[in-house]
Amino acid sequence: MASTGTAPKTARQRPLSPHIGIYRLTLTMAMSGAHRITGVGLYAGVLLLAWFLLATSTDAANFAVFSGFIHSIIGRIVLFGFTWALFHHLLGGLRHFIWDAGYGMDDPLREQLAQATLVGGIVLTLVVWVIGYAVR
Amino acid sequence: MSEKPSFRTPLGRVRWLGAAHFGTEEAMRLRLTSLALVPLTIAFVWILLTLLAKDYNGARAELSEPLPALLVLMFVLAGVYHMTIGMRSVIVDYLHGAAREWALTANTLFCGALGLACVYAILRIGFV
Repeated sequence: MASTGTAPKTARQRPLSPHIGIYRLTLTMAMSGAHRITGVGLYAGVLLLAWFLLATSTDAANFAVFSGFIHSIIGRIVLFGFTWALFHHLLGGLRHFIWDAGYGMDDPLREQLAQATLVGGIVLTLVVWVIGYAVR
Repeated sequence: MSEKPSFRTPLGRVRWLGAAHFGTEEAMRLRLTSLALVPLTIAFVWILLTLLAKDYNGARAELSEPLPALLVLMFVLAGVYHMTIGMRSVIVDYLHGAAREWALTANTLFCGALGLACVYAILRIGFV
């Protein structure tokens, strides 16, 4: 068989990009993962929204089933997690807008943005839940 | 990739097999929906807070009003489109081969069904 001048038949040892596991964990890395994980969590959480809307659109009995779940301990924990994921992901998205505009990638600011997203998500969640308990 | 001699160019062999030509559009749509979702999420949380003190009839009455109904509708549409694209990028990062194709299909069908269910429910609250 004539040589075609393309790659040899034997697999070549090509350089691999360094695996995530060899790096020291930094806050910005953890926040990158948290942004994705909260996104996937919200994806599942929209099922809850669909349930709420469908229950409200039908009759009082279906609404009562949803209401019973969301007011239970498990329902409250799930809704609290959903609230936090929503705000964390929202602030993470704002951080992405700042990066897209070309800012916030240098040392002091990127750490401050990561901290602000982490703290801001928790604070906004607590504020909304305090308001929620106050108005109900 | 085949190592057999071929007249096809490297570009011709990968065209339509992956993200080529679609990546920028999808990335911009992710950003466009996320931009819309910033105010819509705040509005959505506000509406949920006002619903907390209400029973079935009260919640129905509020969601029948044009402004809350439209805001929830826009939140659902932007949100479902955003999560379809977001999950798609997660799938192509971690899955390969047939599993990737099935997961991408399931993602599109799931998000489409979920979005339609929410839209149907909002319209039903408003009109039925």
